[in-house]
Amino acid sequence: MAESRRIVVKVNGLEYQREVEHRRLLVDFLRDDLELVGTHIGCEHGICGSCTILFNGRAIRSCLMFAVQAYGAKIMTVEGLARDGKLHPLQEAFREHHGLQCGYCTPGMLITAYELLNDNPNPTEEEVRETMAGVLCRCTGYKQVIDSVMAAAAKMRGK
Amino acid sequence: MKPSAFEYLSPGSVAEAIELLERYKDEAKIIAGGQSLVPMMNFRLARPEILIDINGIKELDYIREEGDELVIGALTRERDLELSPLVIERCPILAKAVSFIGHSPIRNRGTIGGSLVHADPSAEIPTTVCALNAEMKVVGPSGERILGPEEFFLSYLTTSLEPSDILVEVKIPVLPEKTGWSFMELSRRAGDFAIVAVAIILFMGEGGLCSEARISMGGVAPTPIRAEEAEELLAGQAITDVLIDKSGQEAGEATDTEPDYHASAEYRMDMTRVFVQRGLKEARKMVNGGQ
Amino acid sequence: MKLEGKYTFKATPERLWELFTDPKYLEKAIPGCEKMGEREPGKYDITVKIGISAVKGTYSGKLEVADEEPPKRCRLIGEGAGSPGFVKGEGTVELSQQGDSTIVSYKGEAQVGGLIAGVGQRLISGIAKMMLGQFFRNIKKVLKSQT
Repeated sequence: MAESRRIVVKVNGLEYQREVEHRRLLVDFLRDDLELVGTHIGCEHGICGSCTILFNGRAIRSCLMFAVQAYGAKIMTVEGLARDGKLHPLQEAFREHHGLQCGYCTPGMLITAYELLNDNPNPTEEEVRETMAGVLCRCTGYKQVIDSVMAAAAKMRGK
Repeated sequence: MKPSAFEYLSPGSVAEAIELLERYKDEAKIIAGGQSLVPMMNFRLARPEILIDINGIKELDYIREEGDELVIGALTRERDLELSPLVIERCPILAKAVSFIGHSPIRNRGTIGGSLVHADPSAEIPTTVCALNAEMKVVGPSGERILGPEEFFLSYLTTSLEPSDILVEVKIPVLPEKTGWSFMELSRRAGDFAIVAVAIILFMGEGGLCSEARISMGGVAPTPIRAEEAEELLAGQAITDVLIDKSGQEAGEATDTEPDYHASAEYRMDMTRVFVQRGLKEARKMVNGGQ
Repeated sequence: MKLEGKYTFKATPERLWELFTDPKYLEKAIPGCEKMGEREPGKYDITVKIGISAVKGTYSGKLEVADEEPPKRCRLIGEGAGSPGFVKGEGTVELSQQGDSTIVSYKGEAQVGGLIAGVGQRLISGIAKMMLGQFFRNIKKVLKSQT
């Protein structure tokens, strides 16, 4: 019984080819095989959200996908947010508005917020609350997370 | 924990998938969205030797209107149902129910077929499908068959699917214009599993009377169940506060629930009553144009 | 968890007593039972294979029939372990005649531990009740096959 195969995947604009075990989770592939340790693991059953990445444009739990399922996909991790050494407005907003303390959930928060603002550039606070509830944070009490996302949204709308 | 080793196959067609299921039988498991299966594999509760990935069977991902029905492919992502203008317009209770499933990254991968076949009695899609009297199209080695909710859902996490069967499509009636509906669920936090879920549809007849009421309850029995006596109370009647009260009581008594970590049986029964009453009021308000 | 319920069978208590205490019938009734061997009178080793959703496991365990008061009452004590977890339970089974039928009432407690208890808490009691239901339906089948 074959237990591994070669996959080709694009992550943050770069193409990678690797041999992976079938049972290798996508999050472990990103962290261990590609050494992109920005994406975190918190629960391994899809609840904490710290493993959230963008997969073909959609936010997904990378702990609930096998690397072999990502053949040919376009992935963005938190490392892909900054461009040319410049922080993404979301990252700047999180810094300015203290949207993180220990930082463990932050990659999940950033990717989740990124998708939200992509789909809805002018969300209400209620909509931001509902979406960001998908990532568990034990530090901030969420207020600063919400503030950061609202601020980033305003900045990205050009205000 | 990490999953145990498995062979990984990704068929390109339903026929190929069925052939693989036939060949490997007990050792194989289908993976669609994986939002229920992979957690089980990560805990090593599930250890299939062969994983059959059907995400490549793109022909199973569609939402179409055919006559007075919405026809939905089993691989359609929950997020697509939530945002589909067709579903929002023709069967809004489904779009609403789906919005309660976990959080958006879960819905970005989870599929309608996966949710139905997983058959968690507290899940939103099974509960709503029971209210809608949807039809499930199942394909197996001996051909195709159509199953209604009562034939489809047997018990906890158990459907009438044979080991080599695949659910390919769900047919849902388009709701007539003056229909009132409601979907509500009780959970500790948004996105948690429902303690109690209630899907209600009020079909209206002449003179402001309800012609048919459908009350489907999730999380209170081994499968989603319809509160038949509660529904009977409303059929052919004007939806008064008194009837809503009685109907809620009746629905609570129809529950068949065990206590668990999250709620006692009495609490679930009482919450069923409360949510059916609230849901009926919301559905009635909708019929009356929001008054 | 507490398990409690009643089942009515169209048979005499004596007939049912046989089914509940004889390993050759218990083997047919216990859901997924693959093997049942007697270690000593009233004490059995059992192997059970159960699959619910994608969770399949083989459990090996012991079953004891104790405090027998034929045909009215007995105690069943069981335990089993497998990769998804372990279960331990005991209960009393009472048979009371009603005309040409018998009402079998059971009352007991079970502890479930291991993986399934941690992850499957929501569904454990319901599934336990479902399996007890299967057990009693199997007893009905055995009864039917003998008439």
